[in-house]
Amino acid sequence: MMNLSALVHSLRCSLLRIESRLLQISGLDSQLAPALAVNGPSLLPQIDQDPQQDEEQSPEQTPGLQDSILWMAAPKKRRTIEVNRTRRRAERKLIKVKTNIEPCPECGHLKQKHILCGFCYAKICKETGLIRQQIKEMEGGPLRAPPVETVVLYDGETPSEQDGGKRIVERPRKRPAWFRN
Amino acid sequence: MRLTLQMLISHGRVARRIGLGPESRINMLRNILTGLVRHERIETTKVRADEVRFYAEKLIDYAKKGDTDGKAMKMASFWLTEKDLVPKLFKVLAPRFENHSTGYTRMARIPNRENLDRAQMAVLEYKGNPFPPLYPVKKENELTLINQLLKGYREERARARVLAAEA
Repeated sequence: MMNLSALVHSLRCSLLRIESRLLQISGLDSQLAPALAVNGPSLLPQIDQDPQQDEEQSPEQTPGLQDSILWMAAPKKRRTIEVNRTRRRAERKLIKVKTNIEPCPECGHLKQKHILCGFCYAKICKETGLIRQQIKEMEGGPLRAPPVETVVLYDGETPSEQDGGKRIVERPRKRPAWFRN
Repeated sequence: MRLTLQMLISHGRVARRIGLGPESRINMLRNILTGLVRHERIETTKVRADEVRFYAEKLIDYAKKGDTDGKAMKMASFWLTEKDLVPKLFKVLAPRFENHSTGYTRMARIPNRENLDRAQMAVLEYKGNPFPPLYPVKKENELTLINQLLKGYREERARARVLAAEA
């Protein structure tokens, strides 16, 4: 705000200076002065005054606001607490209540109806991470995906007839209850 | 005046703008699709998963034509940046979906990402993958009261039918 008014004031000063300079050059400002008076020294006091005025006004706390105060928006009255309350507590500014939260039937953690349960998904992610680690060890390097299906077998399981030509990934643990085929 | 308004308003436009431009969008989707074919289950943002889904299913449709088909091989080699996945696509994924006509992929939303952006995430997978299922198959418990009563009722009806048939 202050920088804007100072900028505006300095612009106005420069415009006034340009205007007076043009008048002096054109010779139209010597209406009241005598015919034989010299125009030269009359320039210097004007130039001195402007920086003097600037120096006088800059130590003041509000330069330019005396002129610009007419065209700045300002509140007319203090907003009462009732008006403030009605604005702050309007329907659109309150936090909306979510009615789509329900407990997951498997683990009991809360989940949104259209989103998978975070706990159950983390459980699945962990197991898939371990399976992928096993696959990585079996492949032994990057870009070696074999063109065969994969099947995961846990402790004490043997491949069935469907798992004939598939690559077998062994997991050395009991089959989890949530991983039925 | 009317021309500029048409350019600024996007009512009814279904094409999504992803990345830095159309070429960037295709490259990004190509990378995601390669990852999907390699790992058969990936998690990305919801919007990217939705975009890739269409291309994933179309790729399977092309793969079903067989690897002798020139167009199918061209498509596969364009879309899969890692060339060891091209035989996997034609020999593993295409036969897996022989009997399916559509719907080779499954997309499910997961909780928002933990970062500052809290982006909406989704998990995208090809059906028939070897990993644990996202939606666990719920087994009916036969030992609940209602199921036991229904079992008894079914047996009674079967006995009555047998008696009626003998008589």
